[in-house]
Amino acid sequence: MGLSSKLIVLALLALLPGCVSQAQRDADEGVAAYYMGDYPRAIQLIKPAAAKTNENFVLNNDRLAMAALAAYDLTTAENAFVRSYEVINSVGVNDGGRSLGAALVSENIKVWKGEPFERAMVNFYLGVIYYMRHDYGNARGAFENALFKLRDYGEQSDKNDQYHDVESNFVLAYLMLARSYQQLGRTDLAQKNFDRVTALRPDLAALADVSINAEANLVLIIDFGRGPQKEANGDGAFVGFRPTPREQGPIPLPAVTVDGRRQDLQNRIRPPVDLLAIAQDRRWESIDTIRAVKSVLGTGLIAAGIADAAIRRRPDPAVSLGLIAGGLILKATSQGDLRQWEMLPRTVFVVPVHVPPGKHDVTVEFPALPGYRQRWLGIDVPEKGDAAYYIHIDRYNSGPFQWPPAAVPPAGKVVG
Amino acid sequence: MKHQRLTPLLLLLAGLFSGCTSAVESGHNTLLNSVDLVQMTDKMVRSIVADAQVQAAISKVGPLKIVIQPVDNQLTAEILPRGQAEAFTARVRALLSQKNPQQFVWILNREEFYDLRGKELDVPLGPAPEAINPQFALTAVFSSLTQETSKGRSDFYVCRYELSDLQTRGVLWSDSYKVKKSAVKGFLD
Repeated sequence: MGLSSKLIVLALLALLPGCVSQAQRDADEGVAAYYMGDYPRAIQLIKPAAAKTNENFVLNNDRLAMAALAAYDLTTAENAFVRSYEVINSVGVNDGGRSLGAALVSENIKVWKGEPFERAMVNFYLGVIYYMRHDYGNARGAFENALFKLRDYGEQSDKNDQYHDVESNFVLAYLMLARSYQQLGRTDLAQKNFDRVTALRPDLAALADVSINAEANLVLIIDFGRGPQKEANGDGAFVGFRPTPREQGPIPLPAVTVDGRRQDLQNRIRPPVDLLAIAQDRRWESIDTIRAVKSVLGTGLIAAGIADAAIRRRPDPAVSLGLIAGGLILKATSQGDLRQWEMLPRTVFVVPVHVPPGKHDVTVEFPALPGYRQRWLGIDVPEKGDAAYYIHIDRYNSGPFQWPPAAVPPAGKVVG
Repeated sequence: MKHQRLTPLLLLLAGLFSGCTSAVESGHNTLLNSVDLVQMTDKMVRSIVADAQVQAAISKVGPLKIVIQPVDNQLTAEILPRGQAEAFTARVRALLSQKNPQQFVWILNREEFYDLRGKELDVPLGPAPEAINPQFALTAVFSSLTQETSKGRSDFYVCRYELSDLQTRGVLWSDSYKVKKSAVKGFLD
C-alpha cells in the first residue's frame, strides 16, 4: 500500500470517530446547564439526543433523567432511567459491527453502558423515584439491582474479592433497600438489610438503626459533590478516574434545619457511599488490553520508522514513513473511551428524621462550605408512612423552593 | 493498482460502520417481554374460561363482577413500571371481554375510579354510593429467583394469577406461568 493510500486510511480513521452530531453537542451543553442549576434548559437540550438510539443512548438518557430528577419531573426521569435500565440489563448490544469497530477503530463506537458503579447508580436513582412515589415494590427491585450491578467488579471468594470492597462502599443501596422492606411490612428483611449495613460499615450503625428508621416520617436524600471524572494518561490509551478520595479530602457533613430548628442528628449523618473511592476500582476489560497492545505496537512502529531513517545508510523513505504511518494509525485507534456519566455526585446522604405531620420548611446546608445550602418551603410530611425528598445540592441552586414544584402533580393524583 | 489494494480496507471500514445496529436493536436480556405477555395472558384466559369452578360460579350468580389490579412486583432485582404492571392483567381483561363478554363484568379498581372522577367531574368528590361493588378480584403476583454474576444473569420467573372472592377471601381460580431466562455476558458487556 502506498503512502497516499495510508494517508487516506489515516484520515478516514481520524474523521470517523470525530463526527459529533448537533444533538450530541446540545446534550453536552445541557450538561453544562445542569451544573449551572438550570434544569429545565438541561432537559430541553438533552432530550433530543436521548431519543437517538445510538452509541450514546444510555449515557444521554442517564443525563436526561438526572436533570429531570433535580427538576422533580419524575415521569421524565423514570422513563429515561427505564430506557437506560433496559439496555444496561441487556447483553450483546455491541455484537457485530460495533464490537469489531470498537476493537479496531475507536472504542467510542461501542454502545456505552457505563462502569459498574454508574450502572448501579442508574438503578439507585430509579429506586429513589419509586420510593418517593411510595411504590416500594419497584423501589426494592431497583435497589436490589443496584447491588447486583456491582458484581461486575468480581465476586470471587478469595483475597482479590473486589466486590466485597465495593459493596462496603455502596451500603447506600442496602440502606434504602432496608427502608423499602420496612415500608412493605417485611420487618424481617428490613432488619437483615440494616444488619448488613452495620456489618459492612460499623460507623453507620446509628443511621441503620431499625427503630430510628421505623419512626422517621421524613427522609431526605441529599446528593452532594462532584463525582469521579474520567481521564486518560498522556498516551490516551489508559483511562482512570480522578480525583481520588485522598486528593479531594474528606466529605463535608450536612446540617438539617426544620422550621428554623437544627435537627439533632448526632452520628446519624455519615456518607454511605463515596463514588470517588468506588471509581478507583475500575475493572480491566478485554478492550483495555487491545488498546494497550495497539498503543505499545504503535509506539514501536513509530520508533522503528525513525530508527530506520536514522540508522540505515540508504534509508528507503517509503519504509520509514510506512512504519511511522502504521504506528500513528495504531496510536490513533488506541485512544480510550472517555465517555462517562459526569453528573454523578460524590456522595448521597440519607437522612431519616421524625417531625410532626404537616407542612414544614426544611433547609440543608454544609456549614464547612458556605454557599452550599438549599431551602424548601411547605414540605409535606404525612401522618402515616413516610415522605422522601430528593435534594440536589449545588452552589447555584440554593432556593428557596416551594413544595410542590411545578413538575409535581397535585396531591392525590396518580403519577406514572 | 494502489486503489485496488485500498479497496479491501475501505470495504472493511464500510462494513464496520454499516454493521452498527442501534442500542435497542441488538442484544437481549432476561426481562419479561412482549412474547411473555402474549403467551402468559393467552394461557390465563384459556385457563379461566375452562375452569369448572369459574363456570359453576357464573351459572350460579350470573356474570362475575371483577375488579383487576396491576401486578404486584415481587421480582428479585427487577422493576415492573406501572404501565407494564397494568398490561399484564389488562390484557387478560381485554381478551375475556372480547371472547366471553356475557360471562364477566369489569369494574374499575378504586384508584382508577377516583382518579378518573377527579379528572372528569366538576363536583366535590365524596363517596360514590351508586358505584357497583365488585365480587371478585383478578390479581397477579410476579416473583423470581435471580442469579447475577460478572459472567451473566439468569432469572426463573413464576407469574401467579388468582381470581379471589372479595367476600369470602376464597380463591376461585389460580394458575401460573413459569419461564427461565438467561443471558451470558460477552465482549464489551
